[in-house]
Amino acid sequence: MMIKIENLHASVDGKEILKGINLTIGAGEVHAIMGPNGSGKSTLSNIIAGRDGYTVTSGSITYKGKNLLEMSPEQRSWEGIFLAFQYPVEIPGVNNTYLLKAGVNARRKHHGEQELDAMEFLQLVREKAKLVELDPSFLSRGVNEGFSGGEKKRNEIFQMAVLEPSLALLDETDSGLDIDALRIVAGGVNKLRSSDRSIVMVTHYQRLLDYIVPDVVHVLADGKILKTGGKELALELEERGYDWVRQEAAA
Amino acid sequence: MSGSLQTLRQQAWQAFEEKGLPTTRDEDWKYTDLSRIQTLLGEQWWQPAGTGAVAIDMVELPGLDAWRMVFNNGYFDPARSELPPGVTITSLASLMQDEPAKVVDLLAYQPDAPLSSGLTAANSALAADGACICIPANTRLDQPLYLLHLNSGGTAHLRTGIELGPHAELEVIEHFHGQHSEAGLTNSVTAIRLAAGARCTHYRLQLEAAKQCHSGRVEVSQKADSSYQLHAVELGGMLSRCDVISRLDERGASCELGGLFVATGRQHIDHHTRIEHNAPYCSSRESYRSVLDGRSHGVFNGKIVVAKGAIKTDSAQNNANLLLSPDAAVDTKPELEIYHDDVKCAHGVTVGQLDKNQLFYLKSRGIAEEEAKQLLTVAFADEQLARMNNHSIRRFIERAAFAKLPSITDLEGMLV
Repeated sequence: MMIKIENLHASVDGKEILKGINLTIGAGEVHAIMGPNGSGKSTLSNIIAGRDGYTVTSGSITYKGKNLLEMSPEQRSWEGIFLAFQYPVEIPGVNNTYLLKAGVNARRKHHGEQELDAMEFLQLVREKAKLVELDPSFLSRGVNEGFSGGEKKRNEIFQMAVLEPSLALLDETDSGLDIDALRIVAGGVNKLRSSDRSIVMVTHYQRLLDYIVPDVVHVLADGKILKTGGKELALELEERGYDWVRQEAAA
Repeated sequence: MSGSLQTLRQQAWQAFEEKGLPTTRDEDWKYTDLSRIQTLLGEQWWQPAGTGAVAIDMVELPGLDAWRMVFNNGYFDPARSELPPGVTITSLASLMQDEPAKVVDLLAYQPDAPLSSGLTAANSALAADGACICIPANTRLDQPLYLLHLNSGGTAHLRTGIELGPHAELEVIEHFHGQHSEAGLTNSVTAIRLAAGARCTHYRLQLEAAKQCHSGRVEVSQKADSSYQLHAVELGGMLSRCDVISRLDERGASCELGGLFVATGRQHIDHHTRIEHNAPYCSSRESYRSVLDGRSHGVFNGKIVVAKGAIKTDSAQNNANLLLSPDAAVDTKPELEIYHDDVKCAHGVTVGQLDKNQLFYLKSRGIAEEEAKQLLTVAFADEQLARMNNHSIRRFIERAAFAKLPSITDLEGMLV
C-alpha cells in the first residue's frame, strides 16, 4: 500500500474544508479525484505535499507505513512525494537545472546515496527532457520564468520525471493546456507509469482521463468522497454533472 | 597654489565651518544620523589621516583586466598603478601642482547644488587627491579603468573628475575598500561630464571595513544622446551615504541607475538619487534593491524632476527590499516633481519577506528550508547584478555579497 488516508478532517482559517476523507491507494495504481470547484480537491493534494496554512483537526495519513503529517515538505519529497502544481511558481534568478540538481542530490544524501556530479546530472536531465519534448534551452532559464501556461505544466511533468516520485499528485494538470500540449504532457505521464509508482490526478474535467486512463475514480464533493468507481464513472460525471452523486449520497 | 584655487579652498572651508555636518533635522538627512562620525573619529573628524599601511594583494579583483589607479588613504600611489598611454589620466595632486587653474572647476563648492552639504564643502576644502580623467572624442580605452581606494583608517577626502569628449566611451570602476579595524571615513565626490554621444558605465563598489563610514557623491551632467549607467553596490562600512545626481541636460540623453545594498548587523546604508529631466526625449531607468538582515537599516530616496518643456520624457523607477530579520528596517520614498504634461514616469516600491509560495515550491522539490531561503535571497540580489556586463566584477560582488549572508552551501552552483 502506498498511502492510506483515514477520516481526515482539515480546515483553513477555521473553516472546515475536508470532512472525513477515507482513501487508500495501492502501489502502481492511478487514481482520479474529480469534483466541482471548491470541493476540497486542491486542499487534499496540498495537505499531502505539506503546504502551510492547513490545519488537520483529526484523522491520519499513512505513507509507506509512516506518519506523513509529521514530515516537512522537503522530507516528503525525499520520501518520494511529488506535487505537480496547479499554478507553478515563477522563481526568477533560480536556474531550473540547479533547482533539480539540488533536489535530487538532497534526496540521494537523505538516503545515503552518492550525489550525482554535474556530468551525470546533465545526462539525466537531457534524457528526461525528451520525455515531455521540453526544449533544452528551458533548462538554463529561471524556474518557470516567462514560461507560457503550457510550458509551465510541461516543466512540472519534466520535474516529476527527474525526481522519480513514488506518489505523484497532479493538481489540475490539464488546465490551460491546448490539445497538442495535453497530448504531450499526458504522454509523458503515461511513460512514467510503473508498478511501484502511484499517481493521483486531481481534475475538474474528464478530458485528461481520455489520455491518462485511471484505475479508480473518486468523486470529492463537500469535503467528502461521495462515490468511488472505475474509469466509466468519469464519463458519467461528464454527462450528468455532480448533483446526482450528491443526491445519491444523501439518500 | 594659484590665487583662485586658494580662494576657492578658503570659501569652501568657511562654508564647512558654518554648516558643519548635516543633522537629522534636515529633510534630506532625516534617516541618517552623522553624529556617529564624530563619536567615532572625534571633534577633528575631518582631519586627513595621510597614507597608511595597506595590502593591495588582498583586494584585487580576480580576472579583471584593467588599467588602474590605486589610492592609499586618499593619496595616489603611482608605484601600484598602471595607466594607459594616449589619454589624459592623472592624479588631482599632480594637476593641482602643474596646472592649478584646471582644477578650479572640478573642486568648486556649489552651495546651491542639490543635496550639497557640509560634507561636500569639507571635500572641496580638503580633497588633496583623486583621479582626473579626460577621454578625447571618439576614443575608447581598450580596457576598463579601475580606481581602487584603500582605506586603512582615519579620514580621506577624494575628488575625482571624469570627462568624456563627444562619442567617447569609458567603463570605470570605483572600488572603496576598507582594511584594518581602525575607525575611518571616506568622503568622496565624483563629477562626471559626458559630451554629446558619450557613453559611460560606472561601477561603484563600497566595501569599507566594519568601523568605517563612507560618504559619496556622484554628479553626472549629460549632453545630447549621451548615456550613463551606474551600478552602485553597498556592502561594507557601518554608515554609508551616497548621493547620486544625474542631469539629463540635452535632448536624447539617457541614464540607468542600479543599486544593490546587502547589509547585516547594525549597518546603515542610504542612497539619495536625483534624476533631472531638463530636455526633451530623455529617458531614465532606476532600479535599487536591498537585502537587509540583523538590525540593519536601508534608506532609499529617488527623486525625479521633469522640467517644463521636457517633452517625451520616459522614466521608470523601482525599489525592492527584502527584509530577512524582524529587526531590519527600510525607509523608501519615491519623489516625483513634474512640471510638464505628457510624460511617462512609472514608479514602484516593494518591502517584504521571502515569498511563501516560492519557498514551498522549492521545498516540495526536496530543497531543505534553510537552503531554499538562501537560494531565494541570492536570486533576489542576483537579479540586480544580472544587468552587469563585466563578468569579473559581477562574480567578485556576488562572492563578497553572499559571503555576508548565512552560510551558503553551494554558491558557485547557484550562480547562473
